[in-house]
Amino acid sequence: MPSAVVIGQALVSGLLAGGLYGLLALGLSLSWGLLRLVNLGYFAITFLGAYLVYQLHESYGIAPWWAAMLVVPLFFCLGVAQHWVFLRFRVSELASLLVTFGLSVIVESGIQLVWTADYRRLETHYASASFKIGPLYVPVLDLAACLAAAALAWATWAWLRWTYVGKALRASAEDPDIAAAYGVDHKRLSYLLSGICAGYAGVAGAFIALISTLAPSQIWAWLGVVFAVVIIGRVGNPVGALVAGLLIGASESIAMAFLSPAWAPVVSFSALIVLLLWQPDWL
Amino acid sequence: MLLEARALSVAYGDAPAVWDASLEVDEGEIVSVIGPNGAGKTTLINAIAGMMRWRSGTLHFAGEDMAGVAAHAVCGRGIALVPEGRRLFTRMSVEENLEIGCYVAKARAHRDVSLERVYTLFPILREKRTQLAGLLSGGQQQMVALGRALMARPRIVLLDEPSLGLAPSIVDDMFAIIRAIRDEGVAVLLVEQNVHKALEIADRAYVLEHGRTVASGDPATLMGQPHIREAYLGL
Repeated sequence: MPSAVVIGQALVSGLLAGGLYGLLALGLSLSWGLLRLVNLGYFAITFLGAYLVYQLHESYGIAPWWAAMLVVPLFFCLGVAQHWVFLRFRVSELASLLVTFGLSVIVESGIQLVWTADYRRLETHYASASFKIGPLYVPVLDLAACLAAAALAWATWAWLRWTYVGKALRASAEDPDIAAAYGVDHKRLSYLLSGICAGYAGVAGAFIALISTLAPSQIWAWLGVVFAVVIIGRVGNPVGALVAGLLIGASESIAMAFLSPAWAPVVSFSALIVLLLWQPDWL
Repeated sequence: MLLEARALSVAYGDAPAVWDASLEVDEGEIVSVIGPNGAGKTTLINAIAGMMRWRSGTLHFAGEDMAGVAAHAVCGRGIALVPEGRRLFTRMSVEENLEIGCYVAKARAHRDVSLERVYTLFPILREKRTQLAGLLSGGQQQMVALGRALMARPRIVLLDEPSLGLAPSIVDDMFAIIRAIRDEGVAVLLVEQNVHKALEIADRAYVLEHGRTVASGDPATLMGQPHIREAYLGL
C-alpha cells in the first residue's frame, strides 16, 4: 500500500496529465461531434506542431509561446485547406477515419524524414520548474498545459452556447437541412470550425513540445487514450472532453501508483467499455 | 402575386415526386394543398423552402426568380418552413430553437421583439424556454416549430402537416393561431392531411394528385365537386 503522499502526488500528476488529454481531445471531439468527421490526422498534426515549435526554438531561439503564435494561425489555414479537400471529395464519417489515418501515416513519415526517428527534447531552463504545495510537487509546465486546456474548453463551450455561430453549428450538427432552411450556411461554418480544431492541435503541439520527448512513433501513443476521453466526455462537448481527460489521467496515475505503469491503458479502456455497456443518460 | 410556382417538377434521383405542379399564394391569404399520401405535397413544399432543387418549371417569390437562390439564402427572402414532423433541434433549448429562427441578419436585429411576440402567442413556451425542445409534448413542439418560423419575420409561412399527431383540441388552437398569423398580413401555404380542417381555414385551395395540381379554387367550390367529396371528404 503506497503512502498518502505517493497517492496525493499520483493524483496531482494524473490530473495534470489529464489536462493534456483534454486539450488533445478538444479538437477531435468538436470535429467529430459537429462536423461528423473523425480526424485521426489530428494527432499527426499535433506532433507536427510540436516539432515545429521545437525546431523554431533550436534554430532561431524562438520561445515556445511565440512559436505557438506562428504555428496556430498556420494550422488554422491547414485545417481550412484540409476541410476543402474533405468537402471537394464528399468524405463521409467512416471514410474520414480512413483518409485521416492515411494522412497520419504520411505526416509521420514526413516527420521521420525531416527529424529522423531519434528522440528530440526541447531543452529550456524552466523545463523542470516546479513548486511545492505541502508535500506535493506541482510541475509548472504541466500546470500551464492543464490551465490552457481548461481555458480553451470553457471558451469553446461558451462560444457554442452563447453565440449565434455556436448555436448554428449545433443546430447544423443535428439537422443540417432545417438549419439551412433558417439561413445557416453550414459550409462556411464548417470551414471555420475545421480551422479552429487544427488551431487547437497547434496549441496542444506546443505543450507537448514543452512537456514530453518527441519521436515520430509517439503520434500513435496518444491515440487510444484520447479516443476514450472523447467518447467518455461525449462527442462534441468541450467541457466533457476536459473533465473526462482529468478523470482518465487521474485514474491512470492512481493505477500506476498501486499496480504498475503497464496497467495505465487498462484503466482508460475499462472505463470506456464499462460506460459503453452501461450507457448512462449523460453519455 | 407573392409566391408563384409554374409547372414545377421535382425528383428524387430518377423517381419524380412532383411534376407539373402550379400554384399561387398572395399576401395575407391562407392557401391549402390537399391530396392523398404520396401525392408529392411535402416534396412541393420542401422545394419551395429551398431544401430540394426542381428539375423544370419556375418558382417566383415577390417577383424574383428563386432558381439560383442557395438553400441557406431562401429564408432571408422571407420564406419560413414549419416542416413535417416539426424537426426541432431536440438537444437545444426552446429559446435556442427560436433563436435559430432569427439567425438571418435581418431577423436577428429584431430578436427581442420577435421573441416577445412568440411568447405572447404561446405563453407556455416562455415558461419552458430553458428546457430541451426534445422533452416537450407534441403540441408544445409544434408551437416551437411555428414560433421558430415566426422568428424569421417571414412574408410566407410554409406549414407541412401541422396537425399531425396532435390532440383535437390542440389542433383547433393551432388553426386559430394560423388564422391570427394570416390576419397580421403573413401569407400561409398549408399542406394538410386533415382535409376538413384544411378547407375550412383556407381562402383558396389546390388539389395535388400524383404530383400534379388537378384542381383549384375557393374551398366551397372544391367541396361541391363530386370527385373531391368522394375521395377526400368521404361524403
